Amino acid sequence: MAVRINPNLIDDLEHYGATDVSKCYQCGNCSAACPHSENPYVFPRKSMHQLQTGQEKPLLSSLDPWLCYYCGDCSTQCPRGAEPGETMMALRRWLTSQYDFTGISRLLYRSWAAELTAILLVALLTGAGFLAFGFTHGGSIAAYDGPNAFLPAHCIHIFDWTMGITLGLLLAINSFRMWRFTMHGEGAPKVGLGLYLRYLMLLPVHFLTQERFRKCENKKPWAIHLWFMLSYLTMLILIMFFLKYVQAGPGINWFAHTFGYLSAIGLVVGSILFLRGRINKDAPFHQHSHESDWMFLALLIFVSITGIVQHILHRAGMPMAANVTYVVHLMGVVPMLGLEVPFSKWSHLAYRPLAVYFAQLLAAARAEHPSPVAQTATAD
Amino acid sequence: MAEERIGVYICHCGTNIAKMVDVEAVAQFAQQIPGVAIARSYKYMCSNPGQEMILTDIAEHALTRIVVASCSPRMHEPTFRGALSRAGLNPYMLDMANIREQCSWIHEDAAAATEKSKALVHAAVQRVKFNEPLESRTAPMCPSSLVVGGGVAGMAAALELADAGQQVFLVEKQAQLGGNVRRLDLTAPYLDSAQDLLDRWISRVEHHPFIRVFLNSELVELKGFNGNFKPRVKTEDGTELELEAGSILVCTGYKEFDASKIEAYGYGRLPDVVTSFEFEAMLKAGKIVTKAGKTPRNVAIIHCVGARSNEHHPYCSRVCCTTALKFALEIKSALPEAHVANLYTDMESFGKGCEDFYRRCAEAKTAFFMFDKHHLPAVRKASDGSEMLISMRERLTGEEIEVPADLVVLMVAMEPREDSSKVARLVNISGDKDGWFIEAHPKLDPVATTTDGVYIAGACQFPKDIPESATQARAAVARILAKVAQGKIAVDAIYSEVNPKLCAGCKTCVGMCAYGAIEYNDEKHVSNIISAVCKACGCCAAACPAGAIKVRHFTDEQIYAQIEGVL
Repeated sequence: MAVRINPNLIDDLEHYGATDVSKCYQCGNCSAACPHSENPYVFPRKSMHQLQTGQEKPLLSSLDPWLCYYCGDCSTQCPRGAEPGETMMALRRWLTSQYDFTGISRLLYRSWAAELTAILLVALLTGAGFLAFGFTHGGSIAAYDGPNAFLPAHCIHIFDWTMGITLGLLLAINSFRMWRFTMHGEGAPKVGLGLYLRYLMLLPVHFLTQERFRKCENKKPWAIHLWFMLSYLTMLILIMFFLKYVQAGPGINWFAHTFGYLSAIGLVVGSILFLRGRINKDAPFHQHSHESDWMFLALLIFVSITGIVQHILHRAGMPMAANVTYVVHLMGVVPMLGLEVPFSKWSHLAYRPLAVYFAQLLAAARAEHPSPVAQTATAD
Repeated sequence: MAEERIGVYICHCGTNIAKMVDVEAVAQFAQQIPGVAIARSYKYMCSNPGQEMILTDIAEHALTRIVVASCSPRMHEPTFRGALSRAGLNPYMLDMANIREQCSWIHEDAAAATEKSKALVHAAVQRVKFNEPLESRTAPMCPSSLVVGGGVAGMAAALELADAGQQVFLVEKQAQLGGNVRRLDLTAPYLDSAQDLLDRWISRVEHHPFIRVFLNSELVELKGFNGNFKPRVKTEDGTELELEAGSILVCTGYKEFDASKIEAYGYGRLPDVVTSFEFEAMLKAGKIVTKAGKTPRNVAIIHCVGARSNEHHPYCSRVCCTTALKFALEIKSALPEAHVANLYTDMESFGKGCEDFYRRCAEAKTAFFMFDKHHLPAVRKASDGSEMLISMRERLTGEEIEVPADLVVLMVAMEPREDSSKVARLVNISGDKDGWFIEAHPKLDPVATTTDGVYIAGACQFPKDIPESATQARAAVARILAKVAQGKIAVDAIYSEVNPKLCAGCKTCVGMCAYGAIEYNDEKHVSNIISAVCKACGCCAAACPAGAIKVRHFTDEQIYAQIEGVL
């Protein structure tokens, strides 16, 4: 089946941040500069051209954008200022919105007003919900922990898990759609169960180490990203499994809180580095910031600070202030996770390792059964 | 004859000759030929030391005639004639043996090639003994010029000549001046209006005291010769005028390829497939619409229509890429919502300002689809979304794609005008295999032709843009004015002559002459050859039943001696 050109695609992608792709004249310097660009995943040049020419379907089934970690060498090398790195970033945003079956992602990415409204709305609902809960379930605003707590740990625990499962489910559905688009796209080879099993370990390995990211020539972004990610993961584990100890007090439970402090430092320092980078435009990958990037960073910093402040207030013997800050903290946490994980930037926690996994599967399947399509493509 | 002292020089031409011919053996052989005073070989006879050697020998050995065995005389005969002149010999006391093109380059047996070289040298020595001293002469130069074609090249030339104070006759077939540029809207890359450009020139041309414009007119006959042409022009009212012009400048331009020859594009079959010129008309009218009167959402521009193709024209028409980019920008500016797709084989946006133009066009989000010139896109009617769909294989991704289009613009190639061969015959110039007029030398003499006094400029020579046409026209004017400044023209010393005592007045020769160089004297009943027109082809001499015609420098004695010599 011939690929129907969608002439609107390039206009559409402008909303996702691909504002310079039209300058590209296909010299290929970007692909030459990229350490990740290897047959059959030759990018950014191919993605640039597909986008310029409106080849929507091949782009939708492409894994290339996820295999790029945006070190920005391509953008530095580009003689035309076509910003291939930022274009790949925009394509990741676009793909996220395409994988998302609800259409929410598309709405949030294309309009900062919509994103801001959604964040504020969810924040207000969260605030109202927790205040209503706190005042109705019989607890006291003056108690942070213990049986009388305004927001008892076991209730928050249930809420966390409910939210976690809901978000996980949404992300799983979107990931399933990603699998269908990429692994069952036109010309994709058949991948047997055996292959799926053989390479399964790639998922946890790449999730935890981001080993592929390390292949970029500049190792610093990988290191910062990994540090930040591990901090978050630690915090997530603490909250999902050990909330009881984390929220207990006012004494410091060194066993639980040491992890909390370490990850808090990681999150704050990481967020500040990201923020400073974007403000100073200190690296190619910080030259362009989409509205969604700023809002994500703002939420990140807001959540980290309020989390730390409520912890301190609790330890300082100001339970009421701690409770208020806790509600404010949750007003940041819920929109951040609720909107970012299934619909926006944070979905890459699933898509990145999946893309590495799928890319390996497709390459292995093609090696087993070279298809005539793949052969002609190579012959070109 | 015995007192003649002949110098023979065998050239190595680097290794061009020496690698196949034993040049030393040839020189030794030549030394033995009676009449040869000295025979030498040298690495490059045409070089300054090589010529110096001839000059010195002429002085020291009192040489009277020279034979150079080297390349084709077309290459270096003028060089060696010059050397003879400088040494005080008549330049026609030279003969050349072509042992490169006719020997070393085409043979693989070195011994045989050496033998052949000896034979050629022997023939040249025998011939040169009969060479006669000849003198070049001059003819008057008429300062006025005839310019054929009133497009940009013709007008540029006419204005330049007239501004230099020389009379110009400008003949234009159409009712208006301006040629194909009249049909254009804006010009790339600065987007000036074509009409504005023309208007400025046209009013100057029409009012210039030294330019006489003939509209709706044609050149019907060209008599005379370099510096003294007598063109006949058929004017608007049907009368034929005989003019006098020293130079002829042909600026007849081009026409566009007939797009219906490529069936897959659907020109003539699908209503919204138009040629670039039809699209220019739309732009001029300020209305980009489909046949049904709708504003197109998607416009596709197909490049290289009839160009760069084995079936039609193998060459690139050069201006269409930039024109297509211009279309894209004009569409984007008129219809900001419209999408423009360029289907191209190679993007050739050459020329000053054009690369930047390409960038601007790309930044306006024009899509570029590269197709293989051997697998042309196919346009078909569509039922959904857009009017038409163009299917093609996109080369950069290898993907089979379908491009939606409501309007398809075909960038038709330039091709020679249908009357170009007629014009070529009229002014005695030739065309290449595609029909473009051939210049005297592609690099060293790009505006002159093989006929002295006839020049070419503009797109009749090859596809060109406006600045190139104007530039070439002015280059031709420089050549013409140089001749006008000299006030006279040199006439070659080699031409045919009729011996009136032997001529029987049969007029056989008059019909034979390809150059119209022979006139018949009705009073004396003999033929007479106008030496300035004669090209010394020798047809008349061969045809003359009375043997009354002699070709100077190609006399019977000389040719017989050469034949005897080679055998």
